[in-house]
Amino acid sequence: MRIKEKYGVRSPGSGVPIQSRGSVRGGLRIVLFTVSLLAASMALGDNSRTPTMEVIGNEVQCTCGCNAPLNGCPHIDCAEKAQMQALIKKEIADGKDETTILQDLSLKYGLQVLSTPPAHGFNLSIWILPGIGLLAGLALVVFIARRWKIKPALVSAGSAKPLDPKVLSAMEDEMKSTGMKEEPRI
Amino acid sequence: MNQVGSVSLIASLAFAAFALVAGAVGGKLRSTRITRSAERATLGFFLMITLAVVALEYMILTNDFHNAYAAEHSNRDLATFYKVAALWAGQEGSLLFWTWLLSIYSALVVWQNRNKNRQLMPYVVSVLMGVGTFFSLLVFFVANPFQELNLVSSAGARAYSAADGNGLNPLLQYHSMVIHPPMLYLGYVGMVVPFAFCMAALITRQLGDNWIRITRRWTMVPWMLLGTGILLGGNWAYAVLGWGGYWGWDPVENASLLPWLSGTAFLHSVMIQEKRGMLKIWNVSLVILTFFLSIFGTFLTRSGIVSSVHAFAQSQIGPFFAVFLGIILFFSVTLLFLRLDHLKSENKLDSMVSRESGFLFNNWILLALVFAVFWGTLFPVISKAVENTTVTVGAPFFNKVAIPMGLLLLFLTGAGPLLAWRKTSFQSLKGNFTVPLVVAGLVGVVLFAKGVRDFYAWMTFFLSVFVMVCIVAEFWKGALTRMRLAKENFFVAIYTLTMRNTRRYGGYVVHIGIVLLFIGFAGQAFKTEGKGLMQEGDILQVGNYMLRCDGLTTGDTPNYEYTRALITVTKNGEAFTTMHPEKRFYKASQQPTSHVAIHPTLSEDLYVVLAGIDQDTGKGIIQVFVNPLVSWVWLGGLVTLLGTLLSMVPSRIEREMAEIRQSQELTVQAGDAY
Repeated sequence: MRIKEKYGVRSPGSGVPIQSRGSVRGGLRIVLFTVSLLAASMALGDNSRTPTMEVIGNEVQCTCGCNAPLNGCPHIDCAEKAQMQALIKKEIADGKDETTILQDLSLKYGLQVLSTPPAHGFNLSIWILPGIGLLAGLALVVFIARRWKIKPALVSAGSAKPLDPKVLSAMEDEMKSTGMKEEPRI
Repeated sequence: MNQVGSVSLIASLAFAAFALVAGAVGGKLRSTRITRSAERATLGFFLMITLAVVALEYMILTNDFHNAYAAEHSNRDLATFYKVAALWAGQEGSLLFWTWLLSIYSALVVWQNRNKNRQLMPYVVSVLMGVGTFFSLLVFFVANPFQELNLVSSAGARAYSAADGNGLNPLLQYHSMVIHPPMLYLGYVGMVVPFAFCMAALITRQLGDNWIRITRRWTMVPWMLLGTGILLGGNWAYAVLGWGGYWGWDPVENASLLPWLSGTAFLHSVMIQEKRGMLKIWNVSLVILTFFLSIFGTFLTRSGIVSSVHAFAQSQIGPFFAVFLGIILFFSVTLLFLRLDHLKSENKLDSMVSRESGFLFNNWILLALVFAVFWGTLFPVISKAVENTTVTVGAPFFNKVAIPMGLLLLFLTGAGPLLAWRKTSFQSLKGNFTVPLVVAGLVGVVLFAKGVRDFYAWMTFFLSVFVMVCIVAEFWKGALTRMRLAKENFFVAIYTLTMRNTRRYGGYVVHIGIVLLFIGFAGQAFKTEGKGLMQEGDILQVGNYMLRCDGLTTGDTPNYEYTRALITVTKNGEAFTTMHPEKRFYKASQQPTSHVAIHPTLSEDLYVVLAGIDQDTGKGIIQVFVNPLVSWVWLGGLVTLLGTLLSMVPSRIEREMAEIRQSQELTVQAGDAY
């Protein structure tokens, strides 16, 4: 027999609330908290920086073929690294900002010198897709959760199998030993 | 020996192909005889591949340079330690090594299940040997390490033995490189076992509790080994590459991280299936994804489709792997769709504030991270195909995307275990979260007052304290109860508590390890460095450290020549240590490397590199990094490893449950027999 699903109704078989407005609100709070934490992290983490050799050296790749950032080029006495560092040093001394220095370097060495592609055209997708993936994942999680919650399985009290006494005893021991009062968290 | 190797390779291929077919036929016909035959063929596969490995190692160790692989990757003066490691230094050897590890895992599975899981085993063997057949084909026909060295002249090619070999890549001549690739490979290859059990369960429709229990255990082992391998790789990069870091978001590093992340997601979501009978389709998908990413990682490392500082062995084997990946995906996804009816959830979600929803969020973030890293790693290839422009996707992109997600995961590490199954009340949330949040908040205020302004670093410390307090509180509450009820002292109570439920408390120890890792990562925000030209008497000040050069010496060993800087370090005016960074020149390969001097402490590492000799002045180019909290990364890795080992020890409750299950199975069998 199906019962009309309402918030706060208890399943007659289990005695556990099917769902409540409180729990939905709680869930939404968690989602909002999660998303805002993520957004805040991304926004606050992106501090504007003064251009230094360390900052620029992490934003561009060494052109010697090592496939490492300029600061991380593993080659000793790397001529390309020295040349790039000299150019960056000169641009910093000239008072140029980070964006201008990166533009100058990409004009001289090509787009691949930048550690991340500039955010326009097709390259924009590198930044957009992870965000879309994240939101699509969130939508999927919410969808699954709602789907599960809308159709609660009703099991009559009489149909449940009695728990094996040994299992019951093990669970009770465990609950006692860990001081649990709510649900057993094994 | 080349002949011995080649014959054993072809024999192993025959065994693998036979076991693949016999396993499937044995399963279909339910024939014990054919299944046993497939299992014996699997053991034969193991023996033949082992013989091939012994043959190759013998040639490397005895300097038999008739063998092209030995001549390419070893030399007479190479230390024995590194000669052993030459097995996985090149393409052919590393693929043979991969196949050997697969044969070991397969033999272990056959031996372990000789008297159990008999319905699953035919297909488990078939899947394992399907993978074995692919790798045997590859090793024999495409990347055979038993090629003879040939001298080509106008008269034609003739067998030839080089006087000496080219030597091992100098960058690989570091102690952790001897153990890092085997660990990583054990992790990659090990993911085939859960995949095989998953496929067998789908084929036989045996999708109850059994396969998920086996799969969880068989995922934990490679997950642990893969994680250890990743950290050892970081340790190698830190000590050998000389740029002062341990993780650069290189494609090959990313390739190893991907299956580890999806494996982590599975190890969490599997708990929902075990406790509540939910997320069955999701768990099967995660097992498939993790295995797919393991093979993808090998493909990425070997094919050279993306450039990498770690790509030591590349060739044209990419298309073979691409086809194999396609087969895996087609076979497993088709099977999954065919069995959707058997994977229906047994329970429903009672509340959004519950352990189940915590795991859902954990899986969401982990999978989003997998997608972001996967996308960033492959983007240069996609961009080249779409726009014909060469772009680079480096550390800034990955840091921007992964750090916020990592912080969310860190939060869930502490919050998740505090949520109860089914539903957590507001009172319970308040009771569990108040103290950790207050303590973390206080520490956050202190850190801010002390000048910690980097947002990510501050957030990491705040969340780390929050998680640590949550975990300590769990141990504390449990121990107090035991002290009260069982009259045990504190230490005995902690021990008994842990051993009664190793899985739960081992999991907490793993979480402590993850916290330590994050604290170590946050240290990167406070890195300082300095550089100077130095000869005897010169002084360089970096942070609180003053480095005085006591001279530059040169030396010679059979394997390499070196220049060594002798540096005395004082910290805040007091004697601290002496350090000897070297620049080496390897004779066989004619390549220079740096040998970094590191003085590690818990608070920071002093990291000194002799980058070279300035041609104009003859002085040593000394680069110094002060890297805060790096030791916490290695410590975190060790704690994670210990926690995983602990959670694999059967606890008292698990043993009791196993006994109950066994007695129930015996009863059922007796009933069937009757």
